[in-house]
Amino acid sequence: MKKIVIKNLNKIYNPNKANEFCALKNINLEIEDGEILILKGVSGSGKSTLLSLIGAISKPTNGDIVVNEHSIAKLPDIMSSAYRHKEIGFIFQAFNLLEGLSVTQNVIAPLSLTKMSEEEVREKVKKALLIANIEHKKDQKVAHLSGGEKQRCAIARAIVMEPNIILADEPTANLDKENSLLFIDILKTFKSLNKTVIIATHDILFDNLDFVDRYINIQDGAIV
Amino acid sequence: MQNKNFIDFAITLLFKDKADYLFSFFIFSFIIFILSSVLFISDAIQFDISQSIKDQPDIVVENTRAGREFHMHEGFIYDISKIAGVSSVEGYAEGYYYFGQKRLWFHLVSDDTLKTNEMVVGQGVKVAMEEFYYKDKFNFLTEERIIVVDITKVAPKSTNIISNDVIYLHPQTLRRILGLEEGEYSKLYVFVPNKNEVGQIALKIVELYPSAKAISKEDTIAEYRHLFYYKGGLFLILYVVVMVSFLILLKNQISLVYGEKKKEIAILRSIGFCIKDIIALKCMQNLVVAISAYLLGIALAYVYVFCLNAPLLRNIFLGTNLSNTISFTPIVDFNVLFLIFIAGVIPFMAFVIIPAWKIAIGDISEAVK
Repeated sequence: MKKIVIKNLNKIYNPNKANEFCALKNINLEIEDGEILILKGVSGSGKSTLLSLIGAISKPTNGDIVVNEHSIAKLPDIMSSAYRHKEIGFIFQAFNLLEGLSVTQNVIAPLSLTKMSEEEVREKVKKALLIANIEHKKDQKVAHLSGGEKQRCAIARAIVMEPNIILADEPTANLDKENSLLFIDILKTFKSLNKTVIIATHDILFDNLDFVDRYINIQDGAIV
Repeated sequence: MQNKNFIDFAITLLFKDKADYLFSFFIFSFIIFILSSVLFISDAIQFDISQSIKDQPDIVVENTRAGREFHMHEGFIYDISKIAGVSSVEGYAEGYYYFGQKRLWFHLVSDDTLKTNEMVVGQGVKVAMEEFYYKDKFNFLTEERIIVVDITKVAPKSTNIISNDVIYLHPQTLRRILGLEEGEYSKLYVFVPNKNEVGQIALKIVELYPSAKAISKEDTIAEYRHLFYYKGGLFLILYVVVMVSFLILLKNQISLVYGEKKKEIAILRSIGFCIKDIIALKCMQNLVVAISAYLLGIALAYVYVFCLNAPLLRNIFLGTNLSNTISFTPIVDFNVLFLIFIAGVIPFMAFVIIPAWKIAIGDISEAVK
């Protein structure tokens, strides 16, 4: 079953202005349910832009993105936010955690939009922390964590809502080799959980991984 | 209506940024405290004066000559009592005595229940006299002689709003001090049974004696009201200035804070918070700050005005050189509280929410990269 279908997707920043920049050109792509896909390409090639469009963080200039047979390209804010909340788990290069909060408080953040009982929230957080292997640091402030621990906290937050799609933008760029390999191990867990995972990276550690279903190269905003 | 999980998370974020919120909380509490104190004092004074004046005659007549107050004789009483609608007219002797050592004016009022060598003094008069060792007696200096009168009593504090600068004396003693002859009066009290006729009768008195002033009870109340409205108005202008300064300060702080908070809002948006959720989150956090600051400001103002008798502000409002130990009657007008809420909390909320909304509607993709 096709999870994500991208049709004739274009993204132009600052259209009709002197600094107009075409980040994505006529992208057509189909991603299967449970597929692990790696977007490769140098910095500025358009990988992150493609992720932000799939995650409905920004809107395409034209073209369409269909997720679970629903177009998400032109959704109003309230619906695109609900889509991000329920369907998408983001893992960012800069982790993007709320620094003054503890690991648990960060992981709870997406659950604050639900009406789950306290018990359910506790269960979900515990499960996410265990998968991300960060349960032992659950009460620590994220400001006091190492880069690898922050990454695992970000993973726990990304999966706490049990989304079907996980988007990771340069997830190992700020990690050492050991932590990068740990992240790759967690990817295997995602595979076993049948999550659709799209990773934008130029890290060579991701080359030739046996559990990755597909590698796509992006260059100057186009799939090559 | 937001659910419990959302409220818990909003409070978690509130505590995370407690230093930023404490800044707004304390300054906003202070502004509400000042504004509430001024309005509480103004209301309490107006109430006390209205209560004091309530028992006064319907019309007070004063005469002038060469632009100065001048005494009236029995003929005035006779003529005014003949005006239709007037039930009685009473002559009254009162005036002012200059206490040169302290450069103060005392208000002399007659009281025929006192003996000729006795007087009752207001709290402020008592303090002023004691400074110059007039503890039991006081020497009134007149053109011809010194009149010595015993201080037998001090007027109770509860009457301070009107008695602070007053000395009550036997009419005969008062006349000797002021140099008034028998049958000469400084004021006439006119009683009118039908309150609807008071204005008309006051006009008739002035027609009869163009040099006289006929002041109705309503005029006196209105005069005091205007006086305190004017003083309260000055403070309201000050409040506006302080509030504007605070909002400018707040705006600068918000610009700084929101520079840092831009990423936080973008993170929340990326995990599924919609614009409405961000606004609700900020509203909730700032309402907690604004309402608690509002309640603290009101509570502090209440204690300051009604328990501590508003040191500093009291003298500005009462405008007297005498020390005044007036106790303000605790009057809390809910319209005033609502006005303070509208004038304080609403601009505060607007100043805080608008920047958050602006960030929330912006492009978040760059901020989370």
